[in-house]
Amino acid sequence: MADTKKYWKGIDELNDTKAFQDSKDVEFPEQNNSLENFLADDSLNESSTGRRDFLKFLGFSVAAATVAACEAPVIKAVPYVMKPENVVPGMATWYASTYYDGSAFASILVKTREARPIFIKGNKDFGITSGSVTPPIIASVLGLYDSERLQEPMKSGKSSKWSTVDSEISNALKTSKRVVLVSNTVISPSVLSSIEILKSSASGSFDHIQYDPISYSGIRNAHALNYGKAMIPSYDFSKAKTIVSVNADFLSTWLMPTQFATQYGETRNPDSEWMSKHFQFEAVMSVTGSNADYRGMTKPSEEESVLRYILDKLIGKPASISKGLKANADAAVTSLKISGEESLVVCGTNNTGLQQLVNEINNAVGAYGTTIDLYNELNLFQSEEGKMLDLVDSMIKGSVPDVVLFYNSNPVYSLPNGKAFAKALKTVKTSVSLNSHGDETAVACTFMCPDHHALEAWSDFQPTTKHYALAQPMITQIHNTASALESFVVWAGVAERVGKTSTLAYEKIKETFSDINGGNFDLAVHNSCVDLVSSTIEETFSFSSASISKTPKFSKGVEFVAYQKTAIGAGNHANNPWLNELPDPISKVTWDNYITMNPVEMTKAGYATTYDQENGLSLATITANGIKLTLPVYPLPGQALGTVGVALGYGRGGHGEKIGKAAYQTKEYGGYITDKNGNPKSIGENIFPMIMSSANELTYANSAKVNKVDGEYIIAATQIHHTVMGRHSIVRETTKGIYDSNGKESYNPAHMLQTIDADGSHVEKPVSEFDLWDAHPVENIGHRWGMTIDLSSCIGCSNCLVACQSENNVPVVGKDEVRRGREMHWLRIDRYFASAEEAAVGTRKDKDTFSFSAAEIAALNPKVVHMPMMCQHCNHAPCETVCPVAATTHSNEGLNQMTYNRCIGTRYCANNCPYKVRRFNWFNYPAYKKFTEINPAQDDLGRMVLNPDVTVRTRGVMEKCSFCVQRIQSTKLEAKKEGVPVADGKFATACSDVCPTNAIVVGDWNDIESNVRKSSEEKRSYQALEEIGVKPNVWYKVKVRNEENDLLSKLQVDKKAHHEPSHKQH
Amino acid sequence: MKITNIQKVTKISFGLQALVLFFFLTLVPTYFSQGEGLFKAKCATCHAVFSNGTGPKLYEARKRWESVDEGELIYEWVRNNAALRASGKSNRANEIFQEYKGSVMTVFADLTDEQITSVFDWIDSQDPNAQAAGGGNQASAGGGDVMDEEQGLPWMWIIMGIMFSIIIMAVGGVRRQLKIATKESTEDAEGLTYVEEFKTWAWKYRLYVGLATLVIVLSLIVGFFQTLYQINLQESYQPSQPIAFPHDVHAGVNGIDCKYCHNSVTKSKSAGLPTVNVCMNCHKKINGEGKEFQGEINKIYAAAGWDPTKGPAGEYTGETNPIVWNKVHNLPDHVYFNHSQHVEVGGLDCKQCHGDMAKLKETAKVQPHQELNKIEENIESKIQFDRATLTMGWCIQCHDQSGISIGDGKNQYYTEIHDRLKKNDYDLLNSYNEDGRVSVKELGGWECSKCHY
Repeated sequence: MADTKKYWKGIDELNDTKAFQDSKDVEFPEQNNSLENFLADDSLNESSTGRRDFLKFLGFSVAAATVAACEAPVIKAVPYVMKPENVVPGMATWYASTYYDGSAFASILVKTREARPIFIKGNKDFGITSGSVTPPIIASVLGLYDSERLQEPMKSGKSSKWSTVDSEISNALKTSKRVVLVSNTVISPSVLSSIEILKSSASGSFDHIQYDPISYSGIRNAHALNYGKAMIPSYDFSKAKTIVSVNADFLSTWLMPTQFATQYGETRNPDSEWMSKHFQFEAVMSVTGSNADYRGMTKPSEEESVLRYILDKLIGKPASISKGLKANADAAVTSLKISGEESLVVCGTNNTGLQQLVNEINNAVGAYGTTIDLYNELNLFQSEEGKMLDLVDSMIKGSVPDVVLFYNSNPVYSLPNGKAFAKALKTVKTSVSLNSHGDETAVACTFMCPDHHALEAWSDFQPTTKHYALAQPMITQIHNTASALESFVVWAGVAERVGKTSTLAYEKIKETFSDINGGNFDLAVHNSCVDLVSSTIEETFSFSSASISKTPKFSKGVEFVAYQKTAIGAGNHANNPWLNELPDPISKVTWDNYITMNPVEMTKAGYATTYDQENGLSLATITANGIKLTLPVYPLPGQALGTVGVALGYGRGGHGEKIGKAAYQTKEYGGYITDKNGNPKSIGENIFPMIMSSANELTYANSAKVNKVDGEYIIAATQIHHTVMGRHSIVRETTKGIYDSNGKESYNPAHMLQTIDADGSHVEKPVSEFDLWDAHPVENIGHRWGMTIDLSSCIGCSNCLVACQSENNVPVVGKDEVRRGREMHWLRIDRYFASAEEAAVGTRKDKDTFSFSAAEIAALNPKVVHMPMMCQHCNHAPCETVCPVAATTHSNEGLNQMTYNRCIGTRYCANNCPYKVRRFNWFNYPAYKKFTEINPAQDDLGRMVLNPDVTVRTRGVMEKCSFCVQRIQSTKLEAKKEGVPVADGKFATACSDVCPTNAIVVGDWNDIESNVRKSSEEKRSYQALEEIGVKPNVWYKVKVRNEENDLLSKLQVDKKAHHEPSHKQH
Repeated sequence: MKITNIQKVTKISFGLQALVLFFFLTLVPTYFSQGEGLFKAKCATCHAVFSNGTGPKLYEARKRWESVDEGELIYEWVRNNAALRASGKSNRANEIFQEYKGSVMTVFADLTDEQITSVFDWIDSQDPNAQAAGGGNQASAGGGDVMDEEQGLPWMWIIMGIMFSIIIMAVGGVRRQLKIATKESTEDAEGLTYVEEFKTWAWKYRLYVGLATLVIVLSLIVGFFQTLYQINLQESYQPSQPIAFPHDVHAGVNGIDCKYCHNSVTKSKSAGLPTVNVCMNCHKKINGEGKEFQGEINKIYAAAGWDPTKGPAGEYTGETNPIVWNKVHNLPDHVYFNHSQHVEVGGLDCKQCHGDMAKLKETAKVQPHQELNKIEENIESKIQFDRATLTMGWCIQCHDQSGISIGDGKNQYYTEIHDRLKKNDYDLLNSYNEDGRVSVKELGGWECSKCHY
């Protein structure tokens, strides 16, 4: 067996607790006391239906349903009056556009059906993001159909008319002495020019303050000191042979993850000329940290010493650092010295001093000019929090402007002193919010003038100096909203409001486009962007050292880090049910916010380190900035000792604001959990008030006190579900050194079985030569759809999961159901922690060799492997043989077909699936009241997002990954209509479509020239659970880490030497 | 058609008789059928044979051009009317354009002289007097259904007949036995209740009673399942429609190709209901002759927002009102059906599943499978249904019966599939070909995920 390391998914599994032992064999955990709970539910008593009535109703409805079923309903069909030229009913139309929400930027392609946007993916052909997206971008299509989006202008909380609102606002602007416009970073040249028009129309002073909830001002300030210009340069990770990241989660949330993930992926191929070496120093295990070759657990207060140590070592000065970080820091220095200018050092902490140190290091290694481009500035993140904090201070002190406008900005939520600001805001004579929801800031304003959704509006963006991008509307605005660009011009008195037919924004953008000499406008709209050739003479930058500014100071005790989750970010998408249900890539927790703490420390302090569907986590209070919040404590391996982490972006809209149906906690049988005022309770807590703000710089960390309190809190994580029962032939891993110098048999050996050959002697043969069944006639005949997943490139970003949910109408089930292990995601990403501690396959249960104390240390800072797992479409599928009604069958194209209308829900197939990838519809999710709040399919508007080519499943049927069979069928049909064979690359599943690192390759395996065929025949390819002989159509590729690992090399390289002689004895 | 050909032949002068006859019998018939096809595909949407529509009537159009000595120019006119007008060669061209202002004729640059001739030949061969009799063919169409229903009855009668005769025999037996009983001994029967009497009687004739019970139970079961199979059948479903749209006038008399109105049928999964602007392509000019038609056509105008009284030739008011049709062919949501797959790739004619709409006077209807079995194309392709239309049995019956020519090299997609089969599993290919064809089923047409996902 190939295994070398011990892999585990949770502390429970590692410690092999009783609860884990009990639960792991149970595919569908039953709730122990569900009947008691049900009977004790008070709401049942509220109903006045007696037993006899109930039986009468039952009898009647059965009869009625029977009779009704005999009569087909009359279905209406309404054709267009004037059919738009490019809409063909039943055919998808794709538009190129651009996504920008104030933090993430990407060139996207939007799929529309009958003029309804239903799917978003990256644009691989044009733009600066090379087809890369993030989960919030994919899920943003759902926001369009959010029924709680503001549908019309409001005045003092009551609906109003645009004419009224417009005249009152422009009057206020005309007579005011001081106007302030607060927005997030505006990178739209057209919006900026319309703001200029508004500014020139104002009678008094007019300030435009750009303020982002997540600020990167430290990078700008540091460059101002070192290069004389406040800027964020462009980074290119694809050229970096050594990457050192200090608390920068650049694969998921830091700056431009849509650019960096793809660039990083390019450097992680062990078969290419070189492979990057990645060092991460961070407190909370991030997606980026989980991919690092070396990861040092670093407290926020130690970041400075790490950077200084690296800098001093590089320039040959004596330096010292704490013992725990020395090994990693030394390795980083050595690697930086070797790769020289092909290195990149980044730091995610927003502090000028730290960023200056980063600049010094990058300058010392010569990264400027190779991996860092100063001449192509990033225009995102121009937050001027200093100006904002000053405004807030003066407003709290009583000096309020006459008019305050908010555009895409929610400072009441995201400011450290947001509550005080909200109070001051109420004293402003005219306050206007252009936000899409009645959010924290908007409800404190007199006027709400909702902007269009991004998919309804024309927009333009200039994300970098050399790039100009366009966004086009996919759909006429659903509600009575107005584009912000138009509103500004109307309020300036320069234009009239015309309503839905308005072309003002379009004209304005066209004008901007001709100003910047973009060329052919229609072509630019088609591609969604143009590259600009700057005609101005470029300034030259040269490095000048400056004294290091103040770095963040922490008092002794616990340090806390406010981090961003992949899905929720800074809270823009807190109302998106897909994102709330997306398991966090590391913790695998859904629908919740929690304190992360290292399990080693938790055990010492007496916190519960295990949990399951019935047993919750311990609660603790966290105190910082004089604010005290109570949250559950989650055991996160890899968390730096002496630190805790809490995610930003939670605790939104808990004071009666309407930020979206799915943003609140729901009860077990539907409805919201409410607070004492009757307002629905928000999910998690807002920790923006706890962050450090010193010298007008917001730093997302602070000193804190954490105290255990009584009580427990049940958390819904997918982590402990779908365990693989210790069969460790699932994940395979090796190091670059072993991979380069040894053969396949050391790191990826075939599974051998003993048999007796013709001579009667024992021989070993690979498992592929044994077969109980006749072969399915799929090889080399017709198509055989296959997939390979490269564990080396997979970074665990979770794009695939959200894209699958969007493409396949996967229902949202909510926290309570996820807790019971009933999540419906067709694709899950298994996150395995791997300890280097000695443990071969199957020895975990062996008490003699299993060392508990050694395992504890392993939990301190483990290595991580992300493994996307979905239906493997086995050619000898165990699920097919047990279905009593042949609802799951094999196709001659290698697909394991699931036929919903045949399924009677015995669930035998799920029991028999070795990969645990089948999902059962426990409820009628599109109708049952439990899911009304969270399932968009229960909403007339939300339903619009459903993919019409995929059946919406009903209660009592099984479902699972179909390999996007609807896409297979349409690809084949395209080819048939054109009369050509299916070309490789024409077929892509939703998951492979959105993979930023191209880790997922799909195609026709029978096409011997196809990428998937070649990929599956590489020496790194293996099949999960090969030994059980189910012959999947999915291959995985061994993860290669660019590290030195003596233990692993001993196991993998020396094993053969032990192995061979031992068998000669047979 | 043959009769008209022969009529034409008789007009040919005798001197060329032998030669011309030879040519006519071999070539002309193909000419004429080509002309009809071209007319229906390219012209019929705007032109009728005997009446003016969006464009002028085409009957004896050549004569009208010849009468102004521009007979040769008609070919240029057909191919590219705009170019002819621009050239200034033809007065007639401009006259027609003036007369039909607002409707620009489509350019048919790829038509050859022969093809244009064939169209006019076919048009001129039509009999102006036959038009009135045109409707006569369809008069009997309604009778078919009744016949079928009657045909469905006899076996029920047979079963019932058997049941009744068994009952009669049984009753007769009872009478006989009673008679015997009363004659032989009156004492025996005393003190017995009716139930006991019946039991005794039933036991005595247990063979008959047993058989009768068996027959009754069996027919009840059969009847029960027969009823179940009838539930929710779409066959013969004919919902009312907001506009009494006559398919026979459009597709039949005027010969408009189905794909002109249902124009996404070759591209998309949905054939597409005609959008109102497509109706208006013709109905701007054609506003109905009788009052009953006018009412229906006015409904289109209301939908399109067209006011025929405004301006010289009508104008759009801008107030549109979509037509809400009742969907006729409904499939359950868990079925994926793609029209373009069947029409474009499979080469099916609309008729094969929808029946001959050109003969359907009433509003659209799901044709019973018995009707479909009469369609010429189905008979030719040996497709015979015995399952109700739009049931799954009906679908897969056709998938079993129809073949795909994968080896003829016409579609490279299938050539690739054929090559893979040939190269890697020749035996399998042979087993497919045992019945002389590769059926849709053999290539996976019976697999669940081809239609259910």
